[in-house]
Amino acid sequence: MAAAEGTHLEQISRAVVEGDREATISGVQAALEANIDPHTILQGALIPAMSDVGRLFEQGEYFVPEMLIAARAMKSGLELLKPLMIGADIKPRGRIALGTVQGDLHDIGKNLVGIMLEGAGFEVYDMGTDVPVDRVVEVIKTEQVDLIGLSALLTTTMPMMESTIQSISEAGIRDQVKVMIGGAPITQEYADKIGADGFAPDASQATRLAVELISK
Amino acid sequence: MEKRETQQEITAPEIEAMPQFEMAMKRVYAWYENEIIDRPPIRFMAHNAFLDAATEDIAHFSRNQKKSWWFDSELQVDLFLKSIEGRRFHGETFPVYFPNLGPDVYAAFYGAELEFGQVTSYSIPFVGQWDDADQLILDVENEYFKKIEDLTMHALERCEGKFLVGYTDLHPGLDCVAAWRDPLQLCYDLYDYPDQVQRLADLAITDFEFIYNHFDTLLKKHGQLSVSWMGIPSYGRMHIPSCDFSALISERFFEDFGLPILQSETKSMSHNIFHVDGSGVAKHLDVILSVPEVHALQWVQGVGDNYPIMQWVPLIKDMQARGMPVIVDLSIDDLNDFIAEMDPEGLFLWVAIEDEQEELDIINRLKKWV
Repeated sequence: MAAAEGTHLEQISRAVVEGDREATISGVQAALEANIDPHTILQGALIPAMSDVGRLFEQGEYFVPEMLIAARAMKSGLELLKPLMIGADIKPRGRIALGTVQGDLHDIGKNLVGIMLEGAGFEVYDMGTDVPVDRVVEVIKTEQVDLIGLSALLTTTMPMMESTIQSISEAGIRDQVKVMIGGAPITQEYADKIGADGFAPDASQATRLAVELISK
Repeated sequence: MEKRETQQEITAPEIEAMPQFEMAMKRVYAWYENEIIDRPPIRFMAHNAFLDAATEDIAHFSRNQKKSWWFDSELQVDLFLKSIEGRRFHGETFPVYFPNLGPDVYAAFYGAELEFGQVTSYSIPFVGQWDDADQLILDVENEYFKKIEDLTMHALERCEGKFLVGYTDLHPGLDCVAAWRDPLQLCYDLYDYPDQVQRLADLAITDFEFIYNHFDTLLKKHGQLSVSWMGIPSYGRMHIPSCDFSALISERFFEDFGLPILQSETKSMSHNIFHVDGSGVAKHLDVILSVPEVHALQWVQGVGDNYPIMQWVPLIKDMQARGMPVIVDLSIDDLNDFIAEMDPEGLFLWVAIEDEQEELDIINRLKKWV
């Protein structure tokens, strides 16, 4: 049974990594028919596959299109599992609100991070672009998020990251969330300076950072 | 290398604050040939510095107010004039105004709507269904095309003796397709609908020559050289091919969809400087340099941790080894180390300096570098 389970999980994993949505769906269906627990399919195949995709991206073998179709395949498989997991009260890994800071309209990086985070089992609340500081505070108060992810692509808008973190502190809710930041002009040094909990230079590393922060 | 128009064939406008204009042009032309007359060329302005130089704080403006601000031709030329007032232009720092509605304006000529920010604008993707692509017809009467003409004419009326007038930032090709379709959606399309991607890519390049010629003719009729946002004039036809979208994709996809566009857009130009926007685009150098009409490169290393230039010395040396003239943007703090490490052939330095005497000192330093 274990060998058969392993084979099913490997097939699903390979289909996700290859971005093959149809094969992922049929693989998940076959695994369910073989009575493999949905949680095992999720944790043993779908999520590890997305970690592999992230690694391939960081190694320069995969690029954004390959990441996207892999994440899409993963989500297709996840959709089959969700109805079966609701009753089992399986929670998402964490809940993260993502946004591009006030004054910045760039969203490619934010959207890619969101897709990868969903692939890693997070629930993502998209705050959009040009997000006012007050809105971030409101989201923390009302949306029960564990993490805030802020993005800025311009040196002229990155100061809004510091303003946002300050406002969160002034609202007395800084300890309710971890804040991670990213974007072209952002550095670890800047993240440390403004009191962010972490910085990631790309979507794959952002996902690993989110996993690390949520476990703290 | 193709024959390039020489100074003797076309008379450049006189710029009062740049008496060394003709000599500067000679240095630029020598740079294209990897030659040095007395020193490498240098521009005392960083990449994208024009975005900060001639602007106002409009962050608090409403959406419509921002658009109005960008569309105010008189104001835009006023702001540019204010930014160069009292300045003397040393080295190969040419004062150039180019009409600017953002890098997605080419997509807007076909019906995309632009959303305006403080320093740039973004197209709102509108090719949702493939049938929407049937609407992609160049409209020279649309508000964006007419506004670029209007900005150009306003500048031409006020430029004499003060500055050059260039043409706008044109991005035919995959950047235009990404603006129409949305960049992440286009990433999916490369796998899901390659034929449709090809169709859009073909549409995005079809009218490029017409659009380029339209503004080139207008400017030359008014005695201008050929120049755009890079501020490097040509007596002939100067173009800045680029493909920022290529940073997201593999070499295979760039070769399939980006290379034919690059081959097409460079063909009729006398001077093409390819804008290499970061290491993501640099991975395509082999393909980019397979096009003989790419005459030079602009290396833009990015900001944040990517900005310090010394980490990019191996890449720049590789470009030199391939015989490619290259523009290098660096901070004054890195200049001495960079000069110590590099040979000057083929390099065009961009350095942001605030002090005129320091500019002159650097020029003297560069003469000793040779």
